[in-house]
Amino acid sequence: MIRAQGLSKSFGGVRAVQEISISVPEKSIFALIGPNGAGKSTLLNLLSGIYQPDSGDLSFDNHKLIGVPAYARVRLGIARTFQKIRLFKQLTLLENVRAGFHIHQDAPFWEYLLHGSTGRFQRESLELLDFVGLAARANERAGALPYGQQRMLEIARALATRPRLFMLDEPAAGLNTAEMEFLLERLEQIRDRGVTVLVVEHNMDLVMNVAQRVFVMDHGVALFEGAPREVQANPRVIEAYLGGEFAA
Amino acid sequence: MNDLVALVVQQSLNGVYLGCLYVMVALGLTLIYGVLNQINFAHADFVTVGAFAAFFTVTRFATKALGLPDAGAYLLSLIVALGVGALLGLAVNAAVFAPLRRGDELRPLIATIGVSVLLENFQLWLFGPIPYQFDSPFSRETIRVGRIFFSAQSVLVVTVSALAISALYLFMRFTFLGKALRAVAQDRETAGLMGINPNLLIGLTIVIASALAGMAGALLGPVLVLTPFAGASVIVKAFAIVIIGGFGNMQGTILAGILVGIIEAFTVQYLGSGLIDLVVFVLLLAMLVVRPTGLIAERKEENV
Amino acid sequence: MIAIAVVAALPWLITTSYWRGILVVCAMNVLLALSLNLVLGYTGQLNLGQSAFFGIGAYVSTILVKTYGWNFWLASLAAVGAAGLLGLALAAFAVRLRGHYLAIASLGFAVITYQVLVNWEKVTEGVRGIYGIVPPVRGTMALFYLVAGIAVVVYVLMDNVVRSPVGDTLRSIREDEVSAASLGVNGAIWKAFAFGSGAAIAGLAGCFYPGFVGTLVPDAFNIVESFTMMAMVIVGGMGTMIGPVIGAVVLTFLPELLRGFGESRLMIYGLALTLVVLFMPGGMVQAWLAVKAKFS
Repeated sequence: MIRAQGLSKSFGGVRAVQEISISVPEKSIFALIGPNGAGKSTLLNLLSGIYQPDSGDLSFDNHKLIGVPAYARVRLGIARTFQKIRLFKQLTLLENVRAGFHIHQDAPFWEYLLHGSTGRFQRESLELLDFVGLAARANERAGALPYGQQRMLEIARALATRPRLFMLDEPAAGLNTAEMEFLLERLEQIRDRGVTVLVVEHNMDLVMNVAQRVFVMDHGVALFEGAPREVQANPRVIEAYLGGEFAA
Repeated sequence: MNDLVALVVQQSLNGVYLGCLYVMVALGLTLIYGVLNQINFAHADFVTVGAFAAFFTVTRFATKALGLPDAGAYLLSLIVALGVGALLGLAVNAAVFAPLRRGDELRPLIATIGVSVLLENFQLWLFGPIPYQFDSPFSRETIRVGRIFFSAQSVLVVTVSALAISALYLFMRFTFLGKALRAVAQDRETAGLMGINPNLLIGLTIVIASALAGMAGALLGPVLVLTPFAGASVIVKAFAIVIIGGFGNMQGTILAGILVGIIEAFTVQYLGSGLIDLVVFVLLLAMLVVRPTGLIAERKEENV
Repeated sequence: MIAIAVVAALPWLITTSYWRGILVVCAMNVLLALSLNLVLGYTGQLNLGQSAFFGIGAYVSTILVKTYGWNFWLASLAAVGAAGLLGLALAAFAVRLRGHYLAIASLGFAVITYQVLVNWEKVTEGVRGIYGIVPPVRGTMALFYLVAGIAVVVYVLMDNVVRSPVGDTLRSIREDEVSAASLGVNGAIWKAFAFGSGAAIAGLAGCFYPGFVGTLVPDAFNIVESFTMMAMVIVGGMGTMIGPVIGAVVLTFLPELLRGFGESRLMIYGLALTLVVLFMPGGMVQAWLAVKAKFS
């Protein structure tokens, strides 16, 4: 579905990503793991368009992504969440999710000018909030939510774009056990609805229990790729994690 | 020395003179930005207040009450302006920067705009809109080297500013307090963990910056059109200098200040004084487009 | 609806020509505050250059009418277009710059425009000013109805826009531009929209100003005017529709009521702005909501 070939990115001498080739199969949960500083977030930023690569190829279902800015990739069906939660804090939960329907708002401008709100997507927004268990707090300010729920709100908002590829950057960070369970269930449901999920994670529980395929990175290079069980047993992977964090 | 060379040298020296004045103003701005990541919009109004304070010291106080000679009066006024600036800085820090320490970076900016408007209109109420004539006794004496003329005032200004800038530089570089300041500028939290009180230091920085501004006002007095809104014309150039030199960058600011001074001197010579602000700001906008981080750039990647 | 009736009745209640003049000023300030609010309050861009667009509107329309004999309404259309285009130019800066840098760049915009107005004497007469400017309608009352009417129309249209998905988009840019991009928002286009339309509305206000005053000098469009507009938006309540209106009304009338205190009345702008930012960033709207909450 999304395919990268020989992707490289450096920041002032630091080679964050070197010659990475990765291919994410459709309708699965794909995990991208590696110790701290491996370049996982950078790779995700390259896939989502926040960075443009120094070299290499990137395509999504035969659409070339090189040179395509981040906002344009959303219309192609790529959505993401961020490691550091970026919500619209002053807006309500409902308004946050509603904002996510941006690319689906296709009424002509004069209609907004003359008639104001078209009231579309109110219902869908509430449904998405319900999906993440936040429907009851729809009219509260997003900034007031506790951390774990902010995470889920971010997911609901990203889902509003109706993505075909949904990328999450360390979604489990800072979640307690119950919240993580909830997250895992949601991810599986999202996959079951036909969305491809790519998760950048530290947390091994999530990876092993839910992912179909795992891609391991270290120091900007690809280390190994395979099914979760294979990854766990691989000596190079174990070595990379020794002395670093094995489970967040 | 032929005519053109003499002219160029003369204007360059005039430019350095002006530049030193601007550097004094801009340094304060850049210092505050370095330590606090904030812009004090009212900074130029501190300059105006300093100028007025110096003016009244000279005309009312020093000569009449103390019977000092003109030169002495003027020098005293420099010190008074320094003090007034410091006090103003203390007040603004306590009222604006300290309470708004956390959170949105734009609120303090807007608050300082409010202070600026307040100060300008307060002075308008006190002093009225008609420009005051602030003559420095040093302006009347000229020194001549070959075909180049300096006024004693320009020598004084360059000397004082050079002294002030060097003192500041040495302070930042070599004293404990100075190093602590730089630590706070780089990483406030860690500095705090190391036993430095960041709030105290930030307050100190603002006081130093404002004192500089006040004294700059005293030095600028003879050059400015002294009305309560004099700050408005200065702040324009001060911002330009700080951006061209790079926010928070002392060397850059000094360089940029002298540069702007020289540009102004030549602009006045060839294009007339009305166009100075225009030239400077066009330069500024060009700079913002090409190199927003300034002449001596510091790289800052946005972390996502 | 009630508000419109009250506003319409005002010139009948207020009979001195001086205070009627203040009403006209108030209506213009409402327009200006609304224009800035779209950019500052809803899109979160720190724009200090709004005085430039006000000035462009005033000068372009006046020069077209006086020097080239255009019809007032056509000239105003052209002036609004010119202001809007200039707003798009500033938007180009907004795309690349954030926060402090944008504030200063927009200030630079305002200063440069002011300097052009002052120095391009061939066209603008500089500080000498242009005299004998006739308003499009005779009489202060008629002028008030005209400007206030336009302000009401602008308010209604803007209110529609901010309630619509466009409002969601603008606010998403204000709150977090990066994640807005991750939702498909093209920041550049929407900033262009905000700056452009904000500038156009300010330019529109500018068209009526010279006729009201009778003479046109650049001094009305220096950067202090930008600060005044900003004060109105923030004191009233940034990011709401009614806020700027309240701010404009309060900051137009309060200095007049304080006229007894002499020149010090202008300090009210600075004082109000500073106090509001320090203690009540949501402005008077926030205060009103807090009071309402306490009593319910």
